[in-house]
This record gives sequence, structure tokens and C-alpha cells, in this order.
Amino acid sequence: MNLRIKKGIISFCFILFATSLMAQDKYFTKSGSIQFVSKGAIETIQANHRSVTCVLDSKTGAVQFAVLMKGFEFKKALMQEHFNENYVESDKYPKAEFRGQIVNNSEIAYTKDGVYTAHVKGKLTMHGQTKDVEADGKITVKNGKLVANSDFTILMSDYNISIPKLVKENMSNTVSITVNCTLEPLKS
Amino acid sequence: MTKKRIIIGGIVVVILITAIYAWYEYNRTVQDLSDVRADYSVNATALINEFVSNEDSANKKYLNRILSVKGMIKSVEAGQGGTIVLGDTSDMSGVRCVLDSSANTTAGSLQRGAVVTVKGAITGFNKDETGLLGSDVQLNRCVISN
Repeated sequence: MNLRIKKGIISFCFILFATSLMAQDKYFTKSGSIQFVSKGAIETIQANHRSVTCVLDSKTGAVQFAVLMKGFEFKKALMQEHFNENYVESDKYPKAEFRGQIVNNSEIAYTKDGVYTAHVKGKLTMHGQTKDVEADGKITVKNGKLVANSDFTILMSDYNISIPKLVKENMSNTVSITVNCTLEPLKS
Repeated sequence: MTKKRIIIGGIVVVILITAIYAWYEYNRTVQDLSDVRADYSVNATALINEFVSNEDSANKKYLNRILSVKGMIKSVEAGQGGTIVLGDTSDMSGVRCVLDSSANTTAGSLQRGAVVTVKGAITGFNKDETGLLGSDVQLNRCVISN
């Protein structure tokens, strides 16, 4: 056999092998949930999202979240309308994204059941603004699935979301965010 | 004297009406879509294709609208309220319909492969940038309309 063809076959097999390995290293969900709460003096604003997309690469520790802003569900219709129209302007900025890295990725044994602490650092893009975010999370490995939980806070002012003067006293600039995702291995 | 009384009475009535209206607005809950007419009736695969080929124009056309989407059930996911995914099983992309929590009871009775029509509020298109997951059109507050 021609050496070149041989080389080609070998590298092809190697790529195939490598990609199949890579695919197994990735975990994902499209039905993660994110909740946010902002407690003000008078008004508590609370909403829930049930279609959060998340991909985690266990090999590199890279982690990505994507959220459609219009998908946040509120109990009160007026709050939902104000959130979309006046605060996050979801027509103009439909998506929020987080791209980050698990800093202590080597400490997490993805193939061994257990609870691990993950330190995540990355960039959150929302309302046209990108800011560095650092948060601690918990990864629970169980039966080949990962449950990822995290709580962190952001400031609305960091993302150019301004509170109208009229309600400034009643609302908080701080938003607590709770992430809860069950990630499954990505099969290709 | 009576003129003054009428004016004061009028002001009181206006304030009362405003207060009642404000209170009603403040407590208004998100609408149940069962009795709402859909703005567009589309096929799941056609809807995905429309977003894939031109996201901007599809966004302009559909965002903030109520859609009635017909398609084959690719998967049913449990969890809060439940989600059903419509579309082609050979494709990673789909129309993800988060069911209205009040419609939760019907989620369990849905079978993969069945063709259903789902009515819901479109929340947008989540374009896949990783090339692994497929791009999705997302709907929430969904109810099964057949």
C-alpha cells in the first residue's frame, strides 16, 4: 500500500478516535433552570426559566450557558412585561450568554460518583454588556449524569439596566441568581 | 355650591377608578393561552427552517406572538411543568415547548412519535454555536390544542 494512503488512513482513524473521545467528554442540557430574585423594600421580583442550554467539556473545564430572555416566567404579567420592555429590552437583546472555565477542573472526577466544588470564572453577556463573573458551584456526579448548582449575585447597574427614578427606593440593584442543571453525556 | 360638589364628586370617582384599575393591573397574572387565538399556525420543521435561513426576519415576524405549532413529538421531558420537543428525529434541532404548569397533567399522556398541535408564546431562537446541540425555537406557556 502506498505510504501516503496509509498515513491518511491512520490520521483519519486518529481523528475519528479523538472526536469520539471528545464527544464523550461533553455533557449538555437544554432544559436547565435558572431562577432570579431581587428583593427590594416593597417589591420582590422573581422569575424562573426552564429552557436553559448548558454545555460542559469535562476535559477542558469549559462551560457555556445560553438563555433566551423572553423565556423568563413571572407570576405577575405586568412584571414580565416591564422586565422585557423596560429593563432587559429583550427585543433588542434576546439572549444572555455565559462562557467560562472551571478553574479547578482537575479536582473533579467526572466518572466517579460524588459531590465536587467547582470554581467558575467567565464572562456574562446580557443587555449588550459583558462583565467578568466569578462563582462557586457544586457538581454532583451520579450515574453518569452531572447535576450542576450555583448561586451568585450580579448588579443590574453592571449591565446598564437602569431602575426608573420613581421606583428606585422600592427596588434592589442586586439580583440573586440560582442555576440548576442536570447534564447528560453528549452522544454524537 | 352644587357645582363645587359635582366637581369634588367627579374627582373622587376618577381617583377611585384609577386606583381600581391600577390594583387590577398590578395583580394581573400571566394569561392562560387555552382561550387565546394563535397569531400564526405553522409546521414545526418549517418554523425551524425559517429561523435557520434568516433569524432576523423570523424574529421580526414571530417574536411576542402566540404560535400554534404542529409537529411530531421527538421527546417528552419531565421536570417542572414538563417540556415537549417537536421536530424531525434525524435532526438535533427542534421546537421546544415548555408546558404551562397548569397543563402538567397532559404531559405524561403524550407519546413519542405522535403528531400534536401545541399553542404557546414564542420566546426566541437559540442558535447553536457549538455545532453539537442543534438550534432550537423555544416556546413557553404551552397548551396542547388537540
